[in-house]
Amino acid sequence: MEKRNMENKIAEYLDGTLSQSEMDAFQKRLTTDADFQKEVEAFKMLFKDIEQEEPVLPSKQLRSNFEKLLREEKEKQVKVVSITSNSGKGFSQLFKIAASIAILMGAFLVGRYSQQKELNATLASTQEEVLQYKEATLISLLGNESASKRIQGVQLIKEFDSPDTDIVAALGEKMLGDENTNVRLSAMEALSQFSYSEQVKTIFIQALETEENPSIQVALIEILGQLQEKKAIAPMKKLLEKDDTQPFIKREINNTLPKII
Amino acid sequence: MKKTITFVLVLLTTGLCSAQTDYSKSLSGVEWVKITSKSNIKVRVHDKNEILIKGNRSHRQSEQAKGLRLVGEGGTANTNVGFNVVEEGNDLIVTNLRKNESAEIYLPKNQKIAVTSTWNGDISIQGFSSEIEATCELNGGLRVNNISGPLTANTLNGEIDVIFDTISQSSPTTLNTTNGAIDITLAGNTAADISMSSWNGDMYSNFDIKSASNKDGMKKVSSRKTAGTINGGGVSITLKSTNGNIYLRKK
Repeated sequence: MEKRNMENKIAEYLDGTLSQSEMDAFQKRLTTDADFQKEVEAFKMLFKDIEQEEPVLPSKQLRSNFEKLLREEKEKQVKVVSITSNSGKGFSQLFKIAASIAILMGAFLVGRYSQQKELNATLASTQEEVLQYKEATLISLLGNESASKRIQGVQLIKEFDSPDTDIVAALGEKMLGDENTNVRLSAMEALSQFSYSEQVKTIFIQALETEENPSIQVALIEILGQLQEKKAIAPMKKLLEKDDTQPFIKREINNTLPKII
Repeated sequence: MKKTITFVLVLLTTGLCSAQTDYSKSLSGVEWVKITSKSNIKVRVHDKNEILIKGNRSHRQSEQAKGLRLVGEGGTANTNVGFNVVEEGNDLIVTNLRKNESAEIYLPKNQKIAVTSTWNGDISIQGFSSEIEATCELNGGLRVNNISGPLTANTLNGEIDVIFDTISQSSPTTLNTTNGAIDITLAGNTAADISMSSWNGDMYSNFDIKSASNKDGMKKVSSRKTAGTINGGGVSITLKSTNGNIYLRKK
């Protein structure tokens, strides 16, 4: 059963339309089953051949033969037509019209489909361009002298479903090093949406060691506590020992530490 | 007649005296004025394109300090009002070297300013139509009136008290404090995206804040945080206090 399933998927595999999970299963099978591999190879050859096959042009002789045959056939049919024409003329006319409409519709649909595909492709590339533009805007705003503009840049991260490592690194830099507390706080809040990412976690642990603003400290302690991040234990203990750590921060750490197991 | 002349003379002398205790400098080519002070500082507007630092009578140097210059953390005073003023690129760096005396500074209305209080000093800003950054690093409070922002404000222990005339839609306004309260007043027709959060304080408002709802129509419920729009939404305004209350008022 499973084998048949796989065989059905060969064509999709070669077209590259398999989903990621199917792809994985397929490739696993490919490496383990030699017979299957041969089969795939055969398919691949076939596909390649089909692609490479040049359209065969009929020879001139074939053409003249065909016309001759057609003439003969027509001559033969003349008599028959006279019989059927009376009873079937209306119907065949209707059939012809229907057929031409069908062809017209078919051509239209094919045309529309291919156009739609093209449109989707351009749409996808336009969306890609928009994202790139947004990323460039974000990075440039982060370098502005105005804190409000830098915060505007930080807040642009909302436009990305899964920001790439460059954006996260740029925000991390702001969170760790910006001179304005509001910028650091905004960067932390923006990054906390992606705290499952190892890159973000590393930034947060580093910030816990260097950040002196209590509002940011307390938020970091809570997030890292929820993530059960063991690497955060050492910087938290260090904060407990510091004299200038605010009492409510120490309380928060004392509440959080036992929860990290 | 004699009386009038005496009066004029008296006026002239007092004028001269006060002129001697003030300091002014042209602001051409200056983009940001960055002011740092340990003590109270008032920043106001005037209609000249120059910075004016008002010296009080008490700013006059004592007999003992005559011929000497005030030396502080921020360097040596290069003015007669106990301030150090230097240009760095497009910024004018203004540092109050006196630890216990308040100062009053006048700037043009459209000047971008960044004001920092590094100790116990309160900051008071009034009448500016351009961007403002204000930070009270320790115990100072912040009072800002008749401005249009954007405002980026931060205090540790002091209250943030802000009254906006209108609010600039150009870039976000953020008010953050750890232990202080935030009291902000906006015009009733202000269009903005509001995000408020307080961990250990309460939040109050007489604005009709339309909650942002998720795709499935569920509203985000959290006692610490609320986000929504007023008057259809607009520029982003973030109000965040860790331990203090937040008051968002309609003018």
